[in-house]
Amino acid sequence: MSAAIAAKDMEFKQEVLRLAGPEVLACIQCGTCSASCPTAHLMNPSIRKLVKLCLEGKKEEALHNETLWLCTSCLLCTVRCPRGIRPKAVVSALKDIAEREGVLSRDSSYEEFFLKQIKSYGRIAELPLTAEFLLIYPQAAVQSMQMGLELISKGKIGVKVDRIDGRDEVKRIVEELRE
Amino acid sequence: MKLAYYPGCVSLSTGKEMDISTRAVCAALEIELEELSDWNCCGATHVSNELVATGLAARNMAQTELPIMTPCSICYSNLRSAVQRLEDAEVRERVNTVLEKKYSGAAIRHALDVILEILEKKDDRIVLPLKEMKVAAYYGCLLTRPAGQYSPQFPTILEELIKKLEAEPIELRHKTACCGGPIFMPREAAADDIAFAILAEAKEAGAEVIVTVCPLCHLMLDAKQRALEQKRGLKIGIPVLYVTQLVGIALGLGPEELGLFMNSISPMAVVERAYERMAKE
Repeated sequence: MSAAIAAKDMEFKQEVLRLAGPEVLACIQCGTCSASCPTAHLMNPSIRKLVKLCLEGKKEEALHNETLWLCTSCLLCTVRCPRGIRPKAVVSALKDIAEREGVLSRDSSYEEFFLKQIKSYGRIAELPLTAEFLLIYPQAAVQSMQMGLELISKGKIGVKVDRIDGRDEVKRIVEELRE
Repeated sequence: MKLAYYPGCVSLSTGKEMDISTRAVCAALEIELEELSDWNCCGATHVSNELVATGLAARNMAQTELPIMTPCSICYSNLRSAVQRLEDAEVRERVNTVLEKKYSGAAIRHALDVILEILEKKDDRIVLPLKEMKVAAYYGCLLTRPAGQYSPQFPTILEELIKKLEAEPIELRHKTACCGGPIFMPREAAADDIAFAILAEAKEAGAEVIVTVCPLCHLMLDAKQRALEQKRGLKIGIPVLYVTQLVGIALGLGPEELGLFMNSISPMAVVERAYERMAKE
Protein backbone atom coordinates (compact mmCIF):
# COMPACT_ATOMS: atom_id res chain seq x y z
CA MET A 1 0.00 0.00 0.00
CA SER A 2 1.28 3.42 -0.92
CA ALA A 3 2.67 5.46 1.91
CA ALA A 4 0.85 8.37 0.37
CA ILE A 5 -2.54 7.08 1.55
CA ALA A 6 -4.03 10.14 3.10
CA ALA A 7 -5.45 10.23 6.62
CA LYS A 8 -8.90 10.97 5.20
CA ASP A 9 -8.72 7.87 3.00
CA MET A 10 -7.61 5.76 5.96
CA GLU A 11 -10.58 7.05 7.88
CA PHE A 12 -12.92 5.94 5.11
CA LYS A 13 -11.32 2.50 4.98
CA GLN A 14 -11.67 2.13 8.76
CA GLU A 15 -15.32 3.14 8.59
CA VAL A 16 -16.03 0.47 5.98
CA LEU A 17 -14.22 -2.13 8.10
CA ARG A 18 -16.19 -1.07 11.16
CA LEU A 19 -19.49 -1.44 9.34
CA ALA A 20 -18.75 -4.50 7.19
CA GLY A 21 -16.33 -6.36 9.47
CA PRO A 22 -12.53 -6.51 9.78
CA GLU A 23 -12.47 -9.73 7.75
CA VAL A 24 -12.72 -7.58 4.62
CA LEU A 25 -8.95 -7.18 5.06
CA ALA A 26 -8.59 -10.87 4.19
CA CYS A 27 -9.80 -10.34 0.59
CA ILE A 28 -7.60 -12.10 -1.97
CA GLN A 29 -9.34 -10.51 -5.00
CA CYS A 30 -10.32 -13.92 -6.38
CA GLY A 31 -13.49 -12.58 -7.96
CA THR A 32 -15.87 -15.27 -6.67
CA CYS A 33 -18.21 -12.48 -5.59
CA SER A 34 -18.33 -10.95 -9.06
CA ALA A 35 -18.78 -14.36 -10.66
CA SER A 36 -21.77 -15.03 -8.38
CA CYS A 37 -23.53 -11.70 -8.76
CA PRO A 38 -26.81 -11.66 -10.73
CA THR A 39 -26.22 -8.09 -11.91
CA ALA A 40 -22.43 -8.32 -12.39
CA HIS A 41 -22.76 -7.70 -16.14
CA LEU A 42 -24.15 -4.24 -15.43
CA MET A 43 -21.66 -3.26 -12.75
CA ASN A 44 -18.68 -0.98 -13.17
CA PRO A 45 -16.68 -1.27 -10.97
CA SER A 46 -17.35 -4.94 -10.28
CA ILE A 47 -18.08 -6.02 -6.73
CA ARG A 48 -14.52 -7.42 -6.49
CA LYS A 49 -13.11 -4.06 -7.54
CA LEU A 50 -15.40 -2.26 -5.13
CA VAL A 51 -13.88 -4.18 -2.21
CA LYS A 52 -10.42 -3.24 -3.52
CA LEU A 53 -11.35 0.44 -3.72
CA CYS A 54 -12.44 0.34 -0.08
CA LEU A 55 -9.19 -1.26 1.03
CA GLU A 56 -7.25 1.36 -0.89
CA GLY A 57 -9.28 4.08 0.78
CA LYS A 58 -10.57 5.43 -2.55
CA LYS A 59 -13.67 6.97 -1.13
CA GLU A 60 -14.90 8.98 -4.09
CA GLU A 61 -14.71 6.07 -6.52
CA ALA A 62 -16.22 3.68 -3.99
CA LEU A 63 -19.21 5.89 -3.23
CA HIS A 64 -20.05 7.37 -6.61
CA ASN A 65 -20.97 4.50 -8.88
CA GLU A 66 -23.97 2.48 -10.00
CA THR A 67 -22.65 -0.76 -8.55
CA LEU A 68 -23.97 -0.04 -5.05
CA TRP A 69 -27.48 0.31 -6.36
CA LEU A 70 -27.46 -2.72 -8.60
CA CYS A 71 -26.95 -5.07 -5.66
CA THR A 72 -30.11 -7.12 -5.11
CA SER A 73 -29.04 -8.24 -1.61
CA CYS A 74 -29.28 -11.89 -2.70
CA LEU A 75 -26.25 -12.81 -0.55
CA LEU A 76 -24.81 -15.32 -3.03
CA CYS A 77 -21.45 -13.51 -2.87
CA THR A 78 -21.58 -13.80 0.89
CA VAL A 79 -22.29 -17.52 1.07
CA ARG A 80 -19.63 -18.26 -1.55
CA CYS A 81 -16.72 -16.06 -0.45
CA PRO A 82 -13.79 -18.39 0.32
CA ARG A 83 -12.38 -15.85 2.78
CA GLY A 84 -15.51 -15.48 4.87
CA ILE A 85 -16.04 -11.87 3.81
CA ARG A 86 -19.54 -10.52 3.31
CA PRO A 87 -19.27 -8.49 0.10
CA LYS A 88 -22.94 -7.53 0.39
CA ALA A 89 -22.14 -6.02 3.79
CA VAL A 90 -19.47 -3.91 2.07
CA VAL A 91 -22.14 -2.65 -0.33
CA SER A 92 -24.47 -1.93 2.60
CA ALA A 93 -21.69 -0.08 4.41
CA LEU A 94 -21.07 2.08 1.35
CA LYS A 95 -24.77 2.78 0.91
CA ASP A 96 -25.01 3.72 4.57
CA ILE A 97 -22.08 6.12 4.23
CA ALA A 98 -23.44 7.55 0.97
CA GLU A 99 -26.88 8.09 2.51
CA ARG A 100 -25.42 9.71 5.63
CA GLU A 101 -23.28 12.01 3.52
CA GLY A 102 -26.21 12.91 1.32
CA VAL A 103 -24.99 11.41 -1.96
CA LEU A 104 -28.21 11.76 -3.91
CA SER A 105 -29.54 9.46 -6.60
CA ARG A 106 -32.86 7.89 -7.50
CA ASP A 107 -31.77 4.76 -5.67
CA SER A 108 -30.69 6.45 -2.47
CA SER A 109 -33.99 8.33 -2.52
CA TYR A 110 -35.91 5.08 -2.68
CA GLU A 111 -34.04 3.81 0.36
CA GLU A 112 -34.59 7.10 2.12
CA PHE A 113 -38.36 7.03 1.51
CA PHE A 114 -38.46 3.45 2.71
CA LEU A 115 -36.70 4.29 5.96
CA LYS A 116 -38.83 7.40 6.40
CA GLN A 117 -41.98 5.27 6.23
CA ILE A 118 -40.64 2.86 8.81
CA LYS A 119 -39.75 5.78 11.05
CA SER A 120 -43.14 7.46 10.68
CA TYR A 121 -45.50 4.49 10.66
CA GLY A 122 -43.54 1.41 11.73
CA ARG A 123 -44.67 -0.39 8.59
CA ILE A 124 -44.50 0.01 4.82
CA ALA A 125 -47.47 1.00 2.70
CA GLU A 126 -46.59 0.45 -0.95
CA LEU A 127 -48.91 3.03 -2.48
CA PRO A 128 -47.54 6.14 -0.75
CA LEU A 129 -44.00 4.77 -1.08
CA THR A 130 -44.41 4.41 -4.83
CA ALA A 131 -46.12 7.77 -5.17
CA GLU A 132 -43.31 9.55 -3.37
CA PHE A 133 -40.68 7.79 -5.44
CA LEU A 134 -42.41 8.65 -8.73
CA LEU A 135 -42.14 12.34 -7.91
CA ILE A 136 -38.38 12.13 -8.12
CA TYR A 137 -38.13 9.37 -10.74
CA PRO A 138 -41.09 9.68 -13.12
CA GLN A 139 -39.47 7.25 -15.56
CA ALA A 140 -40.74 4.45 -13.33
CA ALA A 141 -44.32 5.53 -14.03
CA VAL A 142 -45.09 3.08 -16.83
CA GLN A 143 -43.96 0.09 -14.83
CA SER A 144 -45.73 1.35 -11.72
CA MET A 145 -48.98 1.94 -13.61
CA GLN A 146 -48.88 -1.54 -15.14
CA MET A 147 -48.17 -3.12 -11.81
CA GLY A 148 -50.65 -0.87 -10.01
CA LEU A 149 -53.52 -1.74 -12.34
CA GLU A 150 -52.73 -5.41 -12.02
CA LEU A 151 -52.66 -5.27 -8.23
CA ILE A 152 -55.74 -3.07 -7.89
CA SER A 153 -57.75 -5.47 -10.04
CA LYS A 154 -56.85 -8.20 -7.55
CA GLY A 155 -57.63 -6.09 -4.49
CA LYS A 156 -54.01 -6.07 -3.44
CA ILE A 157 -53.10 -2.44 -3.05
CA GLY A 158 -53.29 -1.32 0.53
CA VAL A 159 -54.52 2.27 0.52
CA LYS A 160 -54.75 2.53 4.27
CA VAL A 161 -51.49 3.35 6.03
CA ASP A 162 -51.04 1.19 9.10
CA ARG A 163 -49.59 3.02 12.07
CA ILE A 164 -48.21 0.86 14.84
CA ASP A 165 -48.36 1.90 18.51
CA GLY A 166 -44.62 1.58 19.01
CA ARG A 167 -43.73 4.35 16.54
CA ASP A 168 -41.56 6.24 19.03
CA GLU A 169 -39.60 3.11 19.80
CA VAL A 170 -39.08 2.39 16.10
CA LYS A 171 -37.98 5.97 15.53
CA ARG A 172 -35.41 5.54 18.31
CA ILE A 173 -34.14 2.33 16.69
CA VAL A 174 -33.68 4.06 13.36
CA GLU A 175 -32.11 7.22 14.72
CA GLU A 176 -30.08 6.10 17.73
CA LEU A 177 -28.66 2.87 16.35
CA ARG A 178 -27.42 4.52 13.19
CA GLU A 179 -24.40 5.96 15.00
CA MET B 1 -48.39 -26.56 18.10
CA LYS B 2 -48.53 -22.91 19.02
CA LEU B 3 -46.41 -20.26 17.29
CA ALA B 4 -46.11 -16.51 17.13
CA TYR B 5 -47.01 -15.28 13.65
CA TYR B 6 -45.15 -12.47 11.91
CA PRO B 7 -47.08 -11.67 8.72
CA GLY B 8 -44.83 -8.88 7.39
CA CYS B 9 -45.99 -5.69 5.66
CA VAL B 10 -46.64 -7.40 2.33
CA SER B 11 -49.40 -9.44 3.94
CA LEU B 12 -51.48 -6.27 4.09
CA SER B 13 -51.10 -5.48 0.39
CA THR B 14 -49.39 -7.21 -2.52
CA GLY B 15 -49.08 -10.52 -0.70
CA LYS B 16 -52.57 -10.82 0.79
CA GLU B 17 -52.99 -14.32 -0.63
CA MET B 18 -49.78 -15.37 1.12
CA ASP B 19 -51.27 -14.34 4.46
CA ILE B 20 -54.72 -15.78 3.74
CA SER B 21 -53.35 -19.16 2.65
CA THR B 22 -50.86 -19.31 5.52
CA ARG B 23 -53.61 -18.79 8.07
CA ALA B 24 -55.93 -21.29 6.33
CA VAL B 25 -53.31 -24.03 6.06
CA CYS B 26 -52.18 -23.56 9.65
CA ALA B 27 -55.77 -23.78 10.85
CA ALA B 28 -56.26 -27.00 8.85
CA LEU B 29 -53.09 -28.49 10.32
CA GLU B 30 -54.00 -27.36 13.85
CA ILE B 31 -51.07 -24.99 14.14
CA GLU B 32 -52.21 -22.24 16.45
CA LEU B 33 -50.95 -18.80 15.42
CA GLU B 34 -50.75 -15.83 17.71
CA GLU B 35 -50.02 -12.69 15.71
CA LEU B 36 -47.03 -10.76 17.07
CA SER B 37 -48.39 -7.75 18.85
CA ASP B 38 -47.73 -4.38 17.23
CA TRP B 39 -45.13 -5.83 14.85
CA ASN B 40 -43.01 -3.48 12.73
CA CYS B 41 -41.43 -3.69 9.27
CA CYS B 42 -38.24 -5.79 9.15
CA GLY B 43 -36.62 -3.26 6.81
CA ALA B 44 -36.70 -5.69 3.88
CA THR B 45 -33.59 -5.22 1.73
CA HIS B 46 -33.65 -1.43 2.07
CA VAL B 47 -32.04 -0.71 5.41
CA SER B 48 -28.30 -0.37 4.84
CA ASN B 49 -27.22 0.06 8.42
CA GLU B 50 -26.95 -3.40 9.96
CA LEU B 51 -27.42 -2.24 13.52
CA VAL B 52 -30.69 -0.49 12.60
CA ALA B 53 -31.86 -3.61 10.75
CA THR B 54 -30.93 -5.68 13.80
CA GLY B 55 -32.85 -3.32 16.07
CA LEU B 56 -35.98 -3.49 13.92
CA ALA B 57 -35.87 -7.30 14.02
CA ALA B 58 -35.10 -7.38 17.75
CA ARG B 59 -38.14 -5.26 18.58
CA ASN B 60 -40.35 -7.81 16.83
CA MET B 61 -38.63 -10.76 18.45
CA ALA B 62 -38.94 -9.24 21.92
CA GLN B 63 -42.76 -9.27 21.67
CA THR B 64 -43.09 -13.00 22.38
CA GLU B 65 -41.64 -16.04 24.12
CA LEU B 66 -42.97 -18.39 21.43
CA PRO B 67 -41.04 -19.51 18.33
CA ILE B 68 -41.81 -17.05 15.54
CA MET B 69 -43.11 -18.19 12.17
CA THR B 70 -43.23 -16.07 9.03
CA PRO B 71 -44.29 -16.97 5.49
CA CYS B 72 -42.02 -14.28 3.97
CA SER B 73 -38.43 -15.19 3.10
CA ILE B 74 -37.25 -11.60 3.41
CA CYS B 75 -38.62 -11.24 6.95
CA TYR B 76 -37.27 -14.72 7.70
CA SER B 77 -33.77 -13.88 6.48
CA ASN B 78 -33.73 -10.58 8.35
CA LEU B 79 -34.87 -12.14 11.63
CA ARG B 80 -32.29 -14.93 11.27
CA SER B 81 -29.51 -12.47 10.46
CA ALA B 82 -30.46 -10.45 13.51
CA VAL B 83 -30.43 -13.52 15.77
CA GLN B 84 -26.88 -14.23 14.55
CA ARG B 85 -25.71 -10.66 15.18
CA LEU B 86 -27.42 -10.49 18.56
CA GLU B 87 -25.30 -13.40 19.76
CA ASP B 88 -22.59 -10.76 20.12
CA ALA B 89 -23.03 -9.44 23.68
CA GLU B 90 -21.98 -5.93 22.68
CA VAL B 91 -24.53 -5.73 19.86
CA ARG B 92 -27.24 -7.13 22.11
CA GLU B 93 -26.52 -4.63 24.84
CA ARG B 94 -26.47 -1.73 22.41
CA VAL B 95 -29.76 -2.76 20.78
CA ASN B 96 -31.43 -3.35 24.13
CA THR B 97 -30.70 0.23 25.21
CA VAL B 98 -33.32 1.49 22.74
CA LEU B 99 -35.88 -1.31 23.12
CA GLU B 100 -38.80 -1.18 25.52
CA LYS B 101 -39.07 -4.96 25.86
CA LYS B 102 -35.57 -6.40 25.92
CA TYR B 103 -34.41 -9.02 23.46
CA SER B 104 -33.29 -12.27 25.04
CA GLY B 105 -33.14 -14.80 22.21
CA ALA B 106 -35.62 -16.16 19.68
CA ALA B 107 -36.36 -19.16 17.48
CA ILE B 108 -37.29 -18.30 13.90
CA ARG B 109 -39.12 -20.58 11.49
CA HIS B 110 -40.36 -20.27 7.94
CA ALA B 111 -43.92 -21.47 7.29
CA LEU B 112 -42.55 -23.96 4.75
CA ASP B 113 -40.48 -25.72 7.39
CA VAL B 114 -43.30 -25.79 9.95
CA ILE B 115 -45.79 -27.18 7.43
CA LEU B 116 -43.44 -29.91 6.20
CA GLU B 117 -42.72 -30.96 9.78
CA ILE B 118 -46.43 -31.38 10.49
CA LEU B 119 -47.11 -33.21 7.21
CA GLU B 120 -44.28 -35.63 7.93
CA LYS B 121 -46.17 -36.58 11.11
CA LYS B 122 -49.72 -36.69 9.80
CA ASP B 123 -50.02 -36.90 6.06
CA ASP B 124 -53.59 -38.24 6.30
CA ARG B 125 -54.50 -34.56 5.95
CA ILE B 126 -53.47 -34.72 2.27
CA VAL B 127 -56.87 -35.51 0.79
CA LEU B 128 -56.12 -34.35 -2.74
CA PRO B 129 -52.75 -35.72 -3.81
CA LEU B 130 -51.41 -33.54 -6.62
CA LYS B 131 -50.49 -36.50 -8.82
CA GLU B 132 -48.82 -35.68 -12.13
CA MET B 133 -48.75 -31.93 -11.37
CA LYS B 134 -45.41 -30.58 -12.57
CA VAL B 135 -44.26 -28.07 -10.04
CA ALA B 136 -41.10 -25.99 -10.49
CA ALA B 137 -39.47 -25.39 -7.12
CA TYR B 138 -38.27 -21.82 -6.96
CA TYR B 139 -36.57 -20.86 -3.68
CA GLY B 140 -35.25 -17.44 -4.54
CA CYS B 141 -32.34 -16.23 -2.47
CA LEU B 142 -33.34 -15.35 1.05
CA LEU B 143 -35.02 -18.52 2.33
CA THR B 144 -31.61 -20.16 2.44
CA ARG B 145 -29.36 -17.18 3.21
CA PRO B 146 -27.54 -16.30 5.36
CA ALA B 147 -26.30 -19.89 5.65
CA GLY B 148 -27.26 -21.97 8.64
CA GLN B 149 -30.65 -23.55 8.11
CA TYR B 150 -30.64 -25.02 4.61
CA SER B 151 -27.93 -25.39 1.99
CA PRO B 152 -27.63 -21.84 0.68
CA GLN B 153 -27.08 -23.03 -2.89
CA PHE B 154 -28.52 -26.53 -3.18
CA PRO B 155 -31.51 -26.80 -0.86
CA THR B 156 -34.01 -29.62 -1.32
CA ILE B 157 -36.80 -28.87 1.18
CA LEU B 158 -39.22 -27.54 -1.45
CA GLU B 159 -38.75 -30.60 -3.64
CA GLU B 160 -39.33 -32.76 -0.54
CA LEU B 161 -42.56 -30.96 0.18
CA ILE B 162 -43.70 -31.21 -3.46
CA LYS B 163 -43.07 -34.96 -3.36
CA LYS B 164 -44.93 -35.22 -0.06
CA LEU B 165 -47.96 -33.78 -1.88
CA GLU B 166 -47.36 -36.45 -4.59
CA ALA B 167 -46.68 -33.84 -7.25
CA GLU B 168 -43.65 -33.95 -9.55
CA PRO B 169 -40.91 -31.49 -8.67
CA ILE B 170 -39.05 -29.78 -11.48
CA GLU B 171 -35.61 -28.69 -10.45
CA LEU B 172 -34.61 -25.35 -11.95
CA ARG B 173 -31.02 -24.29 -12.55
CA HIS B 174 -32.25 -20.91 -11.35
CA LYS B 175 -33.87 -22.31 -8.23
CA THR B 176 -31.84 -20.22 -5.79
CA ALA B 177 -31.13 -17.37 -8.20
CA CYS B 178 -32.34 -13.92 -7.30
CA CYS B 179 -35.67 -12.72 -8.80
CA GLY B 180 -34.44 -9.13 -9.16
CA GLY B 181 -37.27 -7.89 -6.95
CA PRO B 182 -35.31 -5.75 -4.49
CA ILE B 183 -34.22 -3.36 -7.25
CA PHE B 184 -37.28 -3.45 -9.49
CA MET B 185 -38.45 0.09 -8.77
CA PRO B 186 -35.29 2.07 -9.49
CA ARG B 187 -33.72 -0.53 -11.81
CA GLU B 188 -36.55 -2.01 -13.83
CA ALA B 189 -34.57 -3.29 -16.83
CA ALA B 190 -32.02 -5.17 -14.75
CA ALA B 191 -34.70 -6.73 -12.56
CA ASP B 192 -36.83 -7.74 -15.56
CA ASP B 193 -33.95 -9.61 -17.19
CA ILE B 194 -33.38 -11.66 -14.09
CA ALA B 195 -37.05 -12.49 -13.53
CA PHE B 196 -37.62 -13.38 -17.16
CA ALA B 197 -34.75 -15.89 -17.17
CA ILE B 198 -36.47 -17.80 -14.35
CA LEU B 199 -39.84 -17.82 -16.11
CA ALA B 200 -38.28 -18.87 -19.43
CA GLU B 201 -36.49 -21.76 -17.77
CA ALA B 202 -39.65 -22.94 -16.02
CA LYS B 203 -41.51 -22.77 -19.33
CA GLU B 204 -38.85 -24.75 -21.16
CA ALA B 205 -38.81 -27.36 -18.40
CA GLY B 206 -42.55 -27.91 -18.83
CA ALA B 207 -43.66 -26.59 -15.45
CA GLU B 208 -47.42 -26.33 -14.90
CA VAL B 209 -46.93 -24.30 -11.76
CA ILE B 210 -44.08 -22.43 -10.12
CA VAL B 211 -44.03 -22.49 -6.35
CA THR B 212 -42.50 -19.62 -4.35
CA VAL B 213 -41.78 -18.87 -0.70
CA CYS B 214 -41.30 -15.11 -0.93
CA PRO B 215 -43.76 -12.32 -1.74
CA LEU B 216 -41.23 -10.36 -3.76
CA CYS B 217 -40.40 -13.39 -5.92
CA HIS B 218 -44.13 -13.85 -6.29
CA LEU B 219 -44.64 -10.26 -7.38
CA MET B 220 -41.89 -10.49 -9.99
CA LEU B 221 -43.01 -13.84 -11.42
CA ASP B 222 -46.79 -13.51 -11.11
CA ALA B 223 -47.94 -9.87 -11.01
CA LYS B 224 -45.28 -8.89 -13.55
CA GLN B 225 -45.56 -11.94 -15.75
CA ARG B 226 -47.87 -10.41 -18.38
CA ALA B 227 -45.77 -7.27 -18.66
CA LEU B 228 -42.67 -9.43 -19.09
CA GLU B 229 -44.40 -11.53 -21.75
CA GLN B 230 -45.26 -8.39 -23.68
CA LYS B 231 -41.79 -6.98 -23.37
CA ARG B 232 -40.12 -10.19 -24.55
CA GLY B 233 -42.77 -11.42 -26.97
CA LEU B 234 -42.90 -14.85 -25.39
CA LYS B 235 -46.01 -16.34 -23.85
CA ILE B 236 -45.29 -17.87 -20.44
CA GLY B 237 -48.71 -18.40 -18.87
CA ILE B 238 -47.52 -20.31 -15.81
CA PRO B 239 -49.37 -19.73 -12.54
CA VAL B 240 -47.17 -18.96 -9.55
CA LEU B 241 -48.40 -20.28 -6.22
CA TYR B 242 -47.21 -19.56 -2.74
CA VAL B 243 -46.15 -22.80 -1.11
CA THR B 244 -49.03 -22.39 1.34
CA GLN B 245 -51.50 -22.20 -1.56
CA LEU B 246 -50.09 -25.40 -3.08
CA VAL B 247 -50.28 -27.22 0.23
CA GLY B 248 -53.78 -25.86 0.81
CA ILE B 249 -55.01 -27.33 -2.48
CA ALA B 250 -53.68 -30.75 -1.44
CA LEU B 251 -55.39 -30.38 1.94
CA GLY B 252 -58.68 -29.93 0.09
CA LEU B 253 -59.12 -26.26 0.94
CA GLY B 254 -61.13 -24.20 -1.52
CA PRO B 255 -59.95 -21.42 -3.84
CA GLU B 256 -61.50 -18.67 -1.71
CA GLU B 257 -59.86 -19.97 1.44
CA LEU B 258 -56.49 -19.89 -0.29
CA GLY B 259 -56.85 -16.56 -2.07
CA LEU B 260 -56.40 -18.30 -5.43
CA PHE B 261 -58.45 -15.59 -7.17
CA MET B 262 -55.89 -13.01 -6.13
CA ASN B 263 -53.12 -14.51 -8.25
CA SER B 264 -52.50 -12.63 -11.49
CA ILE B 265 -52.03 -15.74 -13.61
CA SER B 266 -55.01 -17.85 -12.66
CA PRO B 267 -54.08 -21.24 -11.27
CA MET B 268 -57.66 -22.50 -11.64
CA ALA B 269 -57.11 -24.57 -14.80
CA VAL B 270 -54.29 -26.46 -13.10
CA VAL B 271 -56.32 -26.87 -9.93
CA GLU B 272 -59.29 -28.19 -11.86
CA ARG B 273 -57.10 -30.75 -13.60
CA ALA B 274 -56.07 -31.96 -10.15
CA TYR B 275 -59.74 -32.21 -9.12
CA GLU B 276 -60.55 -34.15 -12.28
CA ARG B 277 -57.73 -36.62 -11.80
CA MET B 278 -58.97 -37.15 -8.26
CA ALA B 279 -62.54 -37.76 -9.45
CA LYS B 280 -61.40 -40.37 -11.98
CA GLU B 281 -59.60 -42.43 -9.39
